[in-house]
Amino acid sequence: MGQPRTGVYVCGCQGEISKRIDLHQLAATMAKKKGVALCREHESLCSLQGLQLIEDDLRSGEIDRVVILACSPRRHEETFKAILRKAGISEYLLETSNLREQCAWVHEEAKQAYKKAAILAQMSLARSRWLEPLEPLRFTATRRVLVVGGGIAGLSASLDLAEAGVEVVLVEREAFLGGRAAQLYRYFPRLCPPGCGIDYILQKIRSNSKIELTTLTEVKSLSGGPGNFEVTLLQKPRYVMPDRCTACGNCAPLCPADRKDHFDFGLSQTKAIYLPKGFPHPQSYVIDPDRCLGQECSLCRQACPVQAIDLEESPRERTIKVGSIIVATGWDPFDARLVEQFGYQQYPDVINNMEFERLVSPSGPTGGKLVRLSNGQPVKRIAFIQCVGSRDKNHLPYCSKVCCTVTLKQIKYVREFAPEAQIFVFYMDMRATGEYEEMYRLAQEESQALFIRGIPSRVIEDINSHDLILQAEDTLSGQMVKIGADMVVLATGMTPNQEFRQLGERVGLPLEMGAFASGHLQCFPFESRRAGIYAAGTSQEPMDASSAIKSAAGAAMKALVSLPEEIVIRPTVPVLDKTKCDKCKRCMEECPFGAWGWDDAGYPSPNLLQCRQCGICQGGCPMKVIALKHSTVKQTASMVEAFDPSFLGEREPTILAFLCYNDAYPAVDAACEKGLTYPANLVAIRVPCAGSLNVALVADALAGGADGIIVAGCASDQCHFVRGSDLAKTRLQNMQETLQRMMLEAQRVKWLTLNITDTEGFVRTINDFVAELRRLGPNPFKG
Amino acid sequence: MPPRVNKEKCDGCKAEHEPLCEQICPGDLMTLNPETRKAYCRSTRDCWDCMSCVKICPQGALETKLPYQLGYYPAKLIPLMGTNKITWTCIDINGKVERFVIKTRND
Ligand SMILES: Cc1cc2nc3c(=O)[nH]c(=O)nc-3n(C[C@H](O)[C@H](O)[C@H](O)COP(=O)(O)OP(=O)(O)OC[C@H]3O[C@@H](n4cnc5c(N)ncnc54)[C@H](O)[C@@H]3O)c2cc1C
Ligand code: SF4
Ligand code: SF4
Ligand code: SF4
Repeated sequence: MGQPRTGVYVCGCQGEISKRIDLHQLAATMAKKKGVALCREHESLCSLQGLQLIEDDLRSGEIDRVVILACSPRRHEETFKAILRKAGISEYLLETSNLREQCAWVHEEAKQAYKKAAILAQMSLARSRWLEPLEPLRFTATRRVLVVGGGIAGLSASLDLAEAGVEVVLVEREAFLGGRAAQLYRYFPRLCPPGCGIDYILQKIRSNSKIELTTLTEVKSLSGGPGNFEVTLLQKPRYVMPDRCTACGNCAPLCPADRKDHFDFGLSQTKAIYLPKGFPHPQSYVIDPDRCLGQECSLCRQACPVQAIDLEESPRERTIKVGSIIVATGWDPFDARLVEQFGYQQYPDVINNMEFERLVSPSGPTGGKLVRLSNGQPVKRIAFIQCVGSRDKNHLPYCSKVCCTVTLKQIKYVREFAPEAQIFVFYMDMRATGEYEEMYRLAQEESQALFIRGIPSRVIEDINSHDLILQAEDTLSGQMVKIGADMVVLATGMTPNQEFRQLGERVGLPLEMGAFASGHLQCFPFESRRAGIYAAGTSQEPMDASSAIKSAAGAAMKALVSLPEEIVIRPTVPVLDKTKCDKCKRCMEECPFGAWGWDDAGYPSPNLLQCRQCGICQGGCPMKVIALKHSTVKQTASMVEAFDPSFLGEREPTILAFLCYNDAYPAVDAACEKGLTYPANLVAIRVPCAGSLNVALVADALAGGADGIIVAGCASDQCHFVRGSDLAKTRLQNMQETLQRMMLEAQRVKWLTLNITDTEGFVRTINDFVAELRRLGPNPFKG
Repeated sequence: MPPRVNKEKCDGCKAEHEPLCEQICPGDLMTLNPETRKAYCRSTRDCWDCMSCVKICPQGALETKLPYQLGYYPAKLIPLMGTNKITWTCIDINGKVERFVIKTRND
């Protein structure tokens, strides 16, 4: 490659830029710069003629890269990229400078605006020298989805995907399908048996050849990225061969060992060999290895008429390839023992709402009778306590959304089984949203439940009568209420499933607010923090079944779009210069998306499909050997070097600002829309994320004589790349401490959080900062 | 005078094994305290004041005082690492500040 031949194009924007800035002079100056092959001025570069002009120059071979001095890159960068592509040149050989939104429109004084425009042009030209032709990266993809969890969400997502023609592997860790919904007696709002809905979906799943369904299976480990994950599945032995077992049941009566059935939350027992309740899949007996007496016993084997029992079966491991993953691992009930004052598991008649579902179910521990667990007597007075553990800083800080409606539903159960019983509900706020409001009305008017606004301080048992005594202040009437009940149901909320929490930690899926944290709740609710992994149902957040089905459809859609034949990604990826890498692993530690692993030669290497191209690794690398393509340290350094800190004259303070392109840059652009102006002392460089900025560049800027430096990113919890903004802030703080020791004013380096609408805040900060820098006097390195 | 570690700033290089200061030190003097995960100099007498660790520390957590041959306590020399230059600040015993910029890499 010879010397770069840059074509510089200056756009008047129909007078919008040219009326404030003398573009003839600017073009004449730029034309003389080293590396500039030609420089043209045009009234409207984004017009057809303007674009044609650029295309012709590119085709003529006179220029091999383009610098456009025009409007904000947020307006027309894509337009100009397209013209490069059309001319058969990599679109990454384009550099744009924002002479309109961040210059002509916001600086009133024409002379100063010109000086700033000239410096911006100079910086862009400097960067253009380091541009590289880049082409999109292509990867082959596996068109198959792994769905983890066979609850209502996992089942629906699998079916949606299979019906869209995608292969699905569905794994469920239990021996039965349907998840928690299978354990319910009835479903609100229609109060139909949930089995009906689950069965309907299961029929369709079983007859769909695209779905491979395995139970007693878990994800052991996971590697790779979207398009080509490798997942190791571990299938636990069932010790009964499902293809032989006819579920005749001859074995169980002979089995001498018992087990507590966790389907009934330990309220009932089965033999060690048992047919799972709910929707067993396959329809066959299984053996609980923790309780089975083993080979020595073998009574079941002798009883089995079809030789289906294999007590030596061992776990099976296999590795599959999938393109994306849906996590639908659901929820566990909150452990009510943690709220000690309610006597859960201390008094047998205090149960949680899931146990109550089992209690009234025909397949449950009492065969569908509502009786006290302590003495088998019918229930005459029943109390519900809402929000147990929920909305409580010490336990679950959130609301699980369903528990109020669940109680309203369970009030109906009480009326069905004990029409005469008295019903009390202790609550803080009843949250029955949407059409569930009707259930609230019915519970009061039809079922005559008494709602008391206040949570009992504790539940105690009367030693003589075994009545449970609850006392609370009814905050509506201000009176103390004391009642006796023979059963107390604790409305406990949902917590994320514990086992998956551990896998989550291993594969980098952090938990938040009772579910897998999404990458960004408002903008990407289905995305987890790992590309290609999506959450469905209650592993996304607490929700009812109908929402879980909707959420499954959303996750399926997301999984589907990430399953093309071929994955094409932008080439703006991090590339490591191994010869200078120290293997300090900071890149691995700081990447918010766990994208780094080791290559065969023992160097860090990013999984490009997992990478979100934030550049945080580049920002953190102490050796500065990671280059986020098209936003490299070198490219930015060339702009910093081209920045002349005296461009407004020796006396005038100048500020170099590094603006995150997500929020800060648009916020600064927006100043003109609001008719605001600010001093021309500030010159901005855009970066993909504040975290992508290596502090060496701030050091360069200081050493180069910039009087002030701003690094602007999103507020901590709004960072598009999770940690970028926090890391940038810490890195700058470290630097500020060093500056202090160097007897340089730490205030010269400023960290700023800007959200996209924070334009006024930005303008205020700039005015104050310029004034402050005037007070401080020039940077000692200036001149 | 051997390097002093600012324990607030040192993050143990976040890694499990050798932090950068340990890797770079020609005398193999820097290492991590396994409990606090912070760096320290294991044999202060042997330090040559070469400042390699000070320059490489990504957190700017290290500082050396000048050796007495060059300047009496508390004179100090502090580098600020740029992409292709180091900006040195020298503060002598009287608090006089001198600064100089040195290019490190030619591209
Ligand atoms: C007391 C109570 C009553 C309710 N009643 C109603 C109601 O009437 N109507 C209504 O709409 N909603 C109701 N809900 C809410 C409803 O239960 C949930 O919305 C629903 O269960 C969510 O389904 P899911 O698929 O997201 O999760 P789950 O039902 O929890 O399913 C998750 C599945 O994933 C499996 N799994 C977990 N971890 C792994 C792993 N590591 N590997 C493989 N598989 C795994 C689990 O075994 C399970 O089968 C009620 C909730 C409560 C607390
Ligand atoms: S942060 Fe830089 S020096 Fe450290 S391991 Fe990563 S690439 Fe190598
Ligand atoms: S660019 Fe961001 S996501 Fe990609 S490897 Fe670097 S830190 Fe991770
Ligand atoms: S190089 Fe700096 S951050 Fe890393 S261990 Fe040494 S002192 Fe700590």
